[in-house]
Amino acid sequence: MQTLPGVNPENPHARRPGLAGWLLLAPMIVWLLLFVVAPMAILLVYSFCSRDDLGRVVFSFTWSNYARVFDPIYLQVLGRSVLYAAITTAICLAAGFPAGWFIARQRAAVRNRLLLLVMIPFWTSFLIRTYAWITILKSEGLLNATLLAARAIPAPLEMLYTPAAVMVGLVYAYLPFMILPVYGSAEKLDNALVDAAHDLGAGPVRAFSEVIIPLTWPGITAGVLLVFVPAIGMFAITDLMGGAKVAMIGNVIQNQFTKARNWPFGAALGIVFTLLFVLTYLALQWRGRRART
Amino acid sequence: MKLIRTLLTLGLVAFSASGAFAAKKPGELKLFAWSEYVPQAVLDGFTAETGIKVSYETYASGEEMLAKLLSGGTRYDLIQPPDYVAEALIKDGLLVPIDQTKLKNFGNLMPEYLHMPHDPEQKFTVPYMVGTVGIVVNTEKVTEPILGYRDMFSAKYKNRIVALDDGRELAVTALYVLGKDLNDFSPANLAAVRPILAEWFPRIKLFDSDSPKTALLNGDVDLGLVWGGEAATLWNENKKFHYVLPAEGAHLFVDLLAIPKRARNVENAHLFIDYILRPEVSKLISDEFPYTNPNGPARKLLSAEQLANPASYPTTTRKLDTFRHIGDVGAAIDALITDLKNTK
Amino acid sequence: MPAPIAKRPLLPTGLRLLNWSLGAWTALVFLFLYLPIAVLVFYSFNTSKLNVVWEGFTFKWYAALVENTPLLSALKNSLIIAAVATVLSVLIGTVGAWLLHRYRYRFARSIQTLVCIPMIMPEIVMGISLLILFTVSQLELGFTTVILSHVTFCFPFVLVAVQARLHGLDPALEEAALDLGATPLKAFLLVIMPCLLPAVISGGLMAFTLSLDEYIITVFTNGLESRTLPQEVFGLARKGLNPMLNAMSAVFIVTTIAFVLFSEYLRRLAAR
Repeated sequence: MQTLPGVNPENPHARRPGLAGWLLLAPMIVWLLLFVVAPMAILLVYSFCSRDDLGRVVFSFTWSNYARVFDPIYLQVLGRSVLYAAITTAICLAAGFPAGWFIARQRAAVRNRLLLLVMIPFWTSFLIRTYAWITILKSEGLLNATLLAARAIPAPLEMLYTPAAVMVGLVYAYLPFMILPVYGSAEKLDNALVDAAHDLGAGPVRAFSEVIIPLTWPGITAGVLLVFVPAIGMFAITDLMGGAKVAMIGNVIQNQFTKARNWPFGAALGIVFTLLFVLTYLALQWRGRRART
Repeated sequence: MKLIRTLLTLGLVAFSASGAFAAKKPGELKLFAWSEYVPQAVLDGFTAETGIKVSYETYASGEEMLAKLLSGGTRYDLIQPPDYVAEALIKDGLLVPIDQTKLKNFGNLMPEYLHMPHDPEQKFTVPYMVGTVGIVVNTEKVTEPILGYRDMFSAKYKNRIVALDDGRELAVTALYVLGKDLNDFSPANLAAVRPILAEWFPRIKLFDSDSPKTALLNGDVDLGLVWGGEAATLWNENKKFHYVLPAEGAHLFVDLLAIPKRARNVENAHLFIDYILRPEVSKLISDEFPYTNPNGPARKLLSAEQLANPASYPTTTRKLDTFRHIGDVGAAIDALITDLKNTK
Repeated sequence: MPAPIAKRPLLPTGLRLLNWSLGAWTALVFLFLYLPIAVLVFYSFNTSKLNVVWEGFTFKWYAALVENTPLLSALKNSLIIAAVATVLSVLIGTVGAWLLHRYRYRFARSIQTLVCIPMIMPEIVMGISLLILFTVSQLELGFTTVILSHVTFCFPFVLVAVQARLHGLDPALEEAALDLGATPLKAFLLVIMPCLLPAVISGGLMAFTLSLDEYIITVFTNGLESRTLPQEVFGLARKGLNPMLNAMSAVFIVTTIAFVLFSEYLRRLAAR
């Protein structure tokens, strides 16, 4: 891990902020305090509470919600969610990196239009897009009909409500969030660098692994972050395309606030889930810093 | 705490200078209802007649409704809770009594849907629509008779079943098979339910509470544990979809209209309830959402085909059960279902 | 701005091969992205209400769409919310990224971590916690609360995108501008901003897209007057896809693509 999107402690020109520097940053800090810290604090309080039988929060102190979080049931759910998200991220990287790179290598006008074309499909509602995939993948759907007509398969394949269908859905949902950051850091690269690598005798593979990848690393890490993290919490796709047969951590949390009406437990799950990421993130940053010094 | 609150309020007010605060307007009704359950024609008709503007917010589950209602972010005038949620709201004194003298059309309701266990004195609620939960069979694919849960969840239909993604509904099927009371979720009963569901779950191809009919229509599955209204739509689409009330036992759910305590427009809520109870208006609801209509004169307006729909108006002499408020057992049921989905 | 790709003499074969295969790969990715969209558009002309099999050609869903006032007003609300949220997010995100890059703040790492929390938090947790916050401060739910919530989860995406780009920016750039007599503001607007523009655009696009499609947080922080499109669509689609929604998506997408092509056409006209 070379760098993560984040503070760049090595910007040699960074200086101590004066009053003006702090004043400029103030709106963002206030925003974060109001809408990130305050809600988190409320959640933290809730996570130590219990509930009455209607599901309202009763203010009393208990550790029991946290004890339940580490029940093997929920750890297993978390493990599965991480696995699905990791596979999704890997596929998105494999599919999205070359595309982001290629788009960045085009003329400015073409570039912007291609970029817009990447996002347009995502301006239709998520649910509508998912239903479109169901139309394609179902037993009597388009893909099966096509394959049957081409005599490629003897009988319809069972594609919908399988882990593969879930993967298709997840990759589809998050692909742009890989393409965009890769594009962002590939676009600023000087083409001459790649050419130079070639002139110096590097083949396409070496040019790729020794020049392109290192130079677009910030974009890649940003993309991995943007895909991996939300994919862990995602559950609507596993429900719709996977048939809700396995529980994801997102389902479990969602259920505490809706079906099970157990807000304190939901809050505890949410806090642990968020903390887990903050810690991972900080650890990666710390390692990144150590590796460089 | 007070300081934090004051600071928050100040900060937020500063942000909301645009003025998103809805003051009480005389001609207004804030309705909080199930999605896809109140026809637009009914809302438009009501506004045209009374001049009262209806703002309509929807929810996808009774619990989602409860969460938003209890938080108090919006002051709704009329809500549409299912029976067992209404029971809890009544118990906690969160509903305003309904003044029946203001409802000219109250007499249209069939007596069998009044004074039910959730509201024995019939003081706080008015039935909107009624339904059952049962089994849909695609008779082109499944030729053997399916009479109940045991037949449906048998091993030979592995991967051909859709079931509601609702812990309570699933647990109740097992309680019925065991011959237990459907509202008795004692720890002993929950333990007894587990092995049955553990055997059934791997045979289910998908869980879907929102639109279980889709998988049946698509041909992905041939059997389904679904809401009566979904089954009725399937039957309207194709007569090969038969509806069966399970032999082991079946229950009725009643969706109600009720006025929450903090409502601002109680008068308008009464006007709307009375409007809904008119036979010709109630018929519009049945036309669009083929659940069981509890309105006697409205049923007379329905077509022979609507009344013949076995999923809307199942022919049974059995007394159907209803769900009661079960307190905090919901959390235990949810944990059980999560665990079962995990271990398969 | 990096130098535009100069017209180069014939590329060496290896690079040409690489370029060609990258292009083919990108085409495949676009095919994947647009396959469901094509299916959507196709089925918007289907007679069958339940959208399961092809039954015949019709325009009736487009007619129904025009008459569906709740859907259209929800679309208007969504566009307003997404536009405002995007502008605010771009503003906060870009300025924030630049300041964090330019100055060595105390607590910079804590601030950075706070920024990432909205991206990490499960939507439902964020939705519920914001709902509690708004009710505690007795703010009536509506446009204001939704926009506040949307900006909170959108601006980090802009910030991260801009930071990824700042990372490789020549630090001497601003210095040079200042040496040549520009004020810090001028240096930022005239020298730094153009360099950041691609990242700002892609971050802004992400913010717009996220806001337009956000459902769960919206449900919990929205009131009745500002119902958004996803809320309306989820209500309708929950009971099985309605071809009217296909029609709506088709109109939306075709309009945007037409707009893109038209602007390209205008640009070419102007260039002539």
